Amino acid sequence: MNLQFIADGLISGSLIGLGAIGVTLTYSILRFSNFAHGDLMAWGAYAALTVLGAISALLGTVAPIGMLSFGWPLVVAALVAMALVGGMALLLDWVLFARLRAKGQSIIVVMASFGASMALRSLLEFSFTSKPEYFSRAIQMALPVGFGIRVTPDQVAMLLVTLVLVTSMHLFMSRSQTGREMRAYSQNPALARVVGIDVARIVRATWLIGGALACAAGIMVGVLVQIRPLMGLDMLLPMFAAAILGGIGSIPGAVLAGLIIGLSEAAAVQLIGAEWRAGAAFVILMAVLLIRPAGLFGVSER
Amino acid sequence: MTPILDVRGLVAGYEPGLNIVRGASIHANEAEIVVVLGPNGAGKSSLIKAIAGLVPVSAGQVLLDGQDITATPAHLMVRKGLAFVPQTENIFPLLTVEENLRVAGGVLARSEVSPRIDEMFSMFPDLARQRRLAAGSLSGGQRQMLAVARALIVRPRVLMLDEPSAGLSPKFVEMVFAQLSQIRRAGLTIVLVEQNAKAALAIGDRAYVLVEGREAHEGVARSLWDDPVVAELYLGHRRAS
Amino acid sequence: MIDLLGYAAFFLSTALILGIITLGLNLQWGLTGLFNVGIAGFVAIGAYTSAILTTPEAAERVGGFGWPILAGWVAAMAITGLAAGLTGFATLRLKSDYLAITTFGVAVVVQLVTLNAQGLTGGPFGVAFIPRPFASLAETPVAFNFANLAVVAAVTLVVYLALEHLSRSPWGRVLRALREDERAAISLGKSAKSYRIQAFAIGGAVMGLAGAVQAHFIGFIAPNNYLPTLTFQIWAMLMVGGAGSNRGALLGTIVVWAIWVGAGAFSSALVPTDWQARTAALQIVAIGVMLCVILLVRPNGFFGGRRRK
Repeated sequence: MNLQFIADGLISGSLIGLGAIGVTLTYSILRFSNFAHGDLMAWGAYAALTVLGAISALLGTVAPIGMLSFGWPLVVAALVAMALVGGMALLLDWVLFARLRAKGQSIIVVMASFGASMALRSLLEFSFTSKPEYFSRAIQMALPVGFGIRVTPDQVAMLLVTLVLVTSMHLFMSRSQTGREMRAYSQNPALARVVGIDVARIVRATWLIGGALACAAGIMVGVLVQIRPLMGLDMLLPMFAAAILGGIGSIPGAVLAGLIIGLSEAAAVQLIGAEWRAGAAFVILMAVLLIRPAGLFGVSER
Repeated sequence: MTPILDVRGLVAGYEPGLNIVRGASIHANEAEIVVVLGPNGAGKSSLIKAIAGLVPVSAGQVLLDGQDITATPAHLMVRKGLAFVPQTENIFPLLTVEENLRVAGGVLARSEVSPRIDEMFSMFPDLARQRRLAAGSLSGGQRQMLAVARALIVRPRVLMLDEPSAGLSPKFVEMVFAQLSQIRRAGLTIVLVEQNAKAALAIGDRAYVLVEGREAHEGVARSLWDDPVVAELYLGHRRAS
Repeated sequence: MIDLLGYAAFFLSTALILGIITLGLNLQWGLTGLFNVGIAGFVAIGAYTSAILTTPEAAERVGGFGWPILAGWVAAMAITGLAAGLTGFATLRLKSDYLAITTFGVAVVVQLVTLNAQGLTGGPFGVAFIPRPFASLAETPVAFNFANLAVVAAVTLVVYLALEHLSRSPWGRVLRALREDERAAISLGKSAKSYRIQAFAIGGAVMGLAGAVQAHFIGFIAPNNYLPTLTFQIWAMLMVGGAGSNRGALLGTIVVWAIWVGAGAFSSALVPTDWQARTAALQIVAIGVMLCVILLVRPNGFFGGRRRK
C-alpha cells in the first residue's frame, strides 16, 4: 500500500487545523460561526500575492531560500498580509458584526457572515478573475523520506511554520494575560466584565488573531496548491468540521481534529477517488453531531 | 462622616419602562457590613447589580468615596474600587484556581499580581492547596471562597456580594460569613444582599429592608432582627412562600 | 409585442419558481427561526429526484422509470423532505449554528454527488430530456410560455395557500410561540424539537418541489444550477420581502429577481464581453452588501407588514 497519503493528509490537515483555530476562537468568544472565515484566507493569499508583486516590481527577482520555491519577499509579504487581513477582520466587525451582535440574535450574525462571505469572495473574483494564481511557478522536486513517501521542501517548511504558529498560539492562550482573558470571556462573558475584563479589547484581539491565522493558512495553501477566489469556500466545511470535532473553544482540539480530517480526506482520495475528497469532512461532521456533539475536547454543549 | 458608598434614589431595570429598582437609597460607611434584606422580587439583586453597572440605571446616583460612578461600564468598576461577587456562576470553571485570580489581577500593575495572589492564598489556605486544579472541580463553599478571593485581589474599597450563602450547607455558610467579618476587620466595606436574614444580620452592622424596589426600613442589624414590623414584613413573606 | 409578452411569462414563471423556494425558506426561517445555508442542495435533491424518475431511458445512468410528471413531483417532495428531516434530526437538539453548518455541508455533498455519481445523476452533463408539461404547445412559444406560467402559478398558489393555512393552524401557532418565547420551547421539551424537525422537513419538501417544477420547466438540469449563489439569492429575496410573511416572500422574490435580471441584461448590453465575468461577480457583491445592509437597517424587510420581535 502506498503510504504517501499519510504525508499528504498531515500536510493538508495542518492547514485545516490552522484555519480551524480562527473558527473555534470566533465561535467560542464572539458566539457565532463565521462563514466568512474561509474568505479571510483567500483574501490573505491575494493580499500576499499583491505585496509580493509590489516587492518584485521594486527589487526585481530575489533568489529563493535554500531548496524552497520562494525567497524572503514572500516572508515579508506574508507578514504584511497578516496585518492587513487582521485589520480587515476588525473593519468587518466594526462595520457589520458588532452592530448586529448588539441586537442580540446570534443567528442574524451568522447570516450576515454568510452575506459578507459571498460579497468578499465575489469581490476577489471581480478583482483577480477566477483564474488560478501562483506565488512561484518553479517546479519543486519531491524528495524521498522513506516508506515510499516523498515530500517537497515547501511542504516541510509549511509544516514547520504551522507547528510554530500553533505552539505560539497555545502558549499565548495559556500564558498571557490576554489569552487568559479570552478564555475567561468565552466561559462567562458577564462574569468577565465583573472582574474588569475589557470586552472590546477581547473582541479586537480575537479578530486580529483569527484574521492573521486565516491569512497565514491561506498563504500556505497558496504556496502548496494554488490561489483561487474559491479556495476559502472549499476549506470552510473541513474547518467547521475540525472546530466541532476538536470541541468548540479548544485550540489543541482544533489542530488535532484538523489533522484527523486531513488524513481522512487523503484516505478517501486513496481508497475511493479524488473527486470524493470533500465528502470526508461531512461524514465526520455528521458522526460527531450524532455521537458526541461536544467534540473531542469540548466540555459540554452550550 | 461621609459614607464610602452612597446610593441616592437609584432607578434601574433591564427594559425601559420596567424598573425593578424604584428609587432606592442606601449607604455604607468605612469598614461596615451593610445587609440588604427583602422578600423575593423586591429588587435586592437588581439593586446590587445596578450599582455594579450590570443593570441599566435610568435615574439616581451612585457615589464611591464622593466620586460619581453612576453607570460606569461594569468592567471599569473594579478599577474604581468596587468589587462584585455574583450569586451564581461567579468563577471561571475551566480556568485553574490560580488562573481565576490571575485573570482578575489584570487590573493591577504587573509586578503586583504574583505577590497579591500569594496573599490571597495565605488568606484562603484551602484554595492554595488546589491552585492548579480547574476551578469547576471545587466544592460549593470553596467556589464561594474563590469568588471572594478573586474580588479581593484588586484591593477594592467596597465588596458587594449577592447571596453568598445560596446553595451552601449551614457549615459552609458559617465559614463564608466568618471569613467576611474577618475581611471587614481589615478595614473593607461590605454590602451583602441576603435571603438568609439570620446569618447575615448576625455579622452585619446595619441593614436595609427592600420592598418593591426601594428601602422600607433601615436600622442597626441586631435591632432590626427583633423589630416586630420587620419580622412581620420579612417573616410574612417567608410564611407565604 | 408578442415576444415581450412571451418573455414576461417566462420571467414570471422563473420568478415564481424561486418564490416557491423562498416560501419554503420562510417556513423554516420566518416562522420557525431555523437557519438553512444549504438551500441549493435541497432544491437539487428535488430536481434530480423528479428528473431521474420521469426521464426516458438513458444509456449512461439509471433511469427509464418513465413516471408521470406529477408522481415525480410528489417523489421530489418526499425525498427532499426526508433529507431535510434527517438534517434537522441530527442537529436540532444542538445550538442553532450546528444546523447552519450542517446544511452548508449538505449542499457541498449534494454538489459532489451531482458532479461525480455519474451513474445516478449524469455527472457534469446533468440530466436532459426531462418531460415538460404541455410539450405539444412548444411549436407556438407564446402559448407554451403561458401554459407553463399557468402551471407554475397554480403550484405557487397551492403552496402559498397551504403554507398560509399551516401558519394559522394550531401547529403554526406552536412554531411561532417556540420562536418567540424560549420558555415555551423549554416547557415543551422533546416535542419542541419534533415541531422544529417537522417545520424543517416541510420547508425542505417545498424547496424540493420547486426544484422539480423548475427541472420540468427548463427540461434540463446540471450541477451548475445549484451553486451557493442560489442559496444566497433566496436569502436576499426573503430578507427583502420580510421574513415571516408569505406574501412578503413572494414579493421580495419578484423584486430581487427583477433587479438581478435587469442588472444582468444591462451588463450584457453595455459591458465588453471580456469583462462580463467580472460584472457578474460584481452583481453578487451588490446582493451580498444589500443583504448585510438590510440586516442592519431594515431587519423586517420591505413587504412584511407584520413586525417580528
